[in-house]
Amino acid sequence: MKIPKQPFNQKILRYIITFLIVIGSIWSASGLEITPERFLTAPSKVWILISAMFPLDLSEEAFSRIVPKVGESLFIAWAGTVIGAIFSFPVSFLAANNVALNMVSRVTKQILNIIRAFPELILAFVFLPITGLGPLTGTLAVGIHSIGTLGKLSSEVIEGIDEGPLESIKSSGGSKLSELLFGVVPQVMPTITSYWLYRFEINLRASAVLGVVGAGGVGAELINQLRFRDFPRAGTVLVVTILMVLIVDTISAAIRRRIIKGREIKV
Amino acid sequence: MEKKIKVPKKPLPSLLTVLGYPFAIFFSIYSFLQIGFNLEDFKRNLENRRIVTDPLFNPKWEWAIENASQALLETIQIAILASILGCFIALPLSFYASRATNQTTVSYYIYKSFLNFIRTIPDLFWAMLFTVAVGIGPFAGVLALIMFSMAIMGKLLSETIDSIDLGPLEAAKASGAKHNQAVFSSALPQILPNFTAYFLYIFELCIRASVILGLVGAGGVGRIIETQRIFLRFDRITPIIVLILIAVIAIEQFSVWLRRKIL
Repeated sequence: MKIPKQPFNQKILRYIITFLIVIGSIWSASGLEITPERFLTAPSKVWILISAMFPLDLSEEAFSRIVPKVGESLFIAWAGTVIGAIFSFPVSFLAANNVALNMVSRVTKQILNIIRAFPELILAFVFLPITGLGPLTGTLAVGIHSIGTLGKLSSEVIEGIDEGPLESIKSSGGSKLSELLFGVVPQVMPTITSYWLYRFEINLRASAVLGVVGAGGVGAELINQLRFRDFPRAGTVLVVTILMVLIVDTISAAIRRRIIKGREIKV
Repeated sequence: MEKKIKVPKKPLPSLLTVLGYPFAIFFSIYSFLQIGFNLEDFKRNLENRRIVTDPLFNPKWEWAIENASQALLETIQIAILASILGCFIALPLSFYASRATNQTTVSYYIYKSFLNFIRTIPDLFWAMLFTVAVGIGPFAGVLALIMFSMAIMGKLLSETIDSIDLGPLEAAKASGAKHNQAVFSSALPQILPNFTAYFLYIFELCIRASVILGLVGAGGVGRIIETQRIFLRFDRITPIIVLILIAVIAIEQFSVWLRRKIL
């Protein structure tokens, strides 16, 4: 039986990729002085840590410290997402090349790229000396980073719209503003709202981490308990955080699905 | 003569919309109150900005290149190793976590919830846990990012496997292949292009994430940022951040180019 041969250059590409992956991992592992034995002994060490966490510290005092911190993370994530949503929405129109002028769109996209390149934590400790230790710093960091990511995603949604409604508004005498208001916004709103919620889920994880530099949230609690070797309480912090993230993720995913798919209307 | 056009009635807003919007607005206001946004304090604090902003524009380039380039290389190595290992561990796992290739309901739910579970823990939390478990250093960072990339790859890939074409799978089984053989020969080739694209995307995420690992002692350039931050040496931090940005953007451009080449 004749089996068609794979084209030559595809084969070469495949070999190059395999080669890159192998060389890349060997180079990195040797640079970091990581040996296979370390990977083999790691699980038992992790197991020691996990068993030190149980039984969890379920005292009332622990909860009265942890729950407000977890709540603070939630508020930081939400407020940051709100900042991101409010500011990224108009910016995304400027960045979309089918709505804004070509020059404007290109410049705005570059600005968004630069904003996106700063991780939240880096932003957080640039703000720390200005806004002080506390949740405000975290909110600003999360919010500004969200402007970058949401602006990019939203502008891509706007670029993918159907131009038909815009044309019909133009042909019936609508102004540029009404084109945007009645042609673009209704088309993009569901997707953009679902991106906001999606960003909220990501921000929740980011805000949990921000406490490490003192920018508010549950991260500070975890790192302190680990430093003082109070493992049962560190375990409680972890479990409460995981539960909160799971609950918020589930709710948010359900709402997103509802927004994208729409309500079933019985005819 | 006037002709009446029948306009279909607008459906009533659903309960979700009626309750959702006020709740969202209320929750936003409540959040802003909770984080303690205070215009007075904010204004007063803005006067402190000189501590940060003055040194920001007076960067010490020689110092940064001398001290941070080694750590920056370490950061990139952590990201390479972790994303490769994490993604290749996730590859078999996601076949088990997909309805299309795993018929056993119980094990499907076990794998699926395992992947969901590791996804709930943020990257830096993993790093903190691993620094305690295996000691301070880049190895903890590698382990943390393996978990991080495994979680994302598992989610993305298992959802892709859910939507593969089941025809080839059936054909392989009809010609006598066992389940594993059928999956290997007809499901795996279908998702390989997606796998490569996701891998490059995760590699970018890992590069960004590995920058901050050093803050908790898990290796990389974050360690140097952390020590300089404590002394408020923003004149030294600025060039490091610029170096990181250049590296991140360069790697991103490379990965975008490679993705276009492959797909």
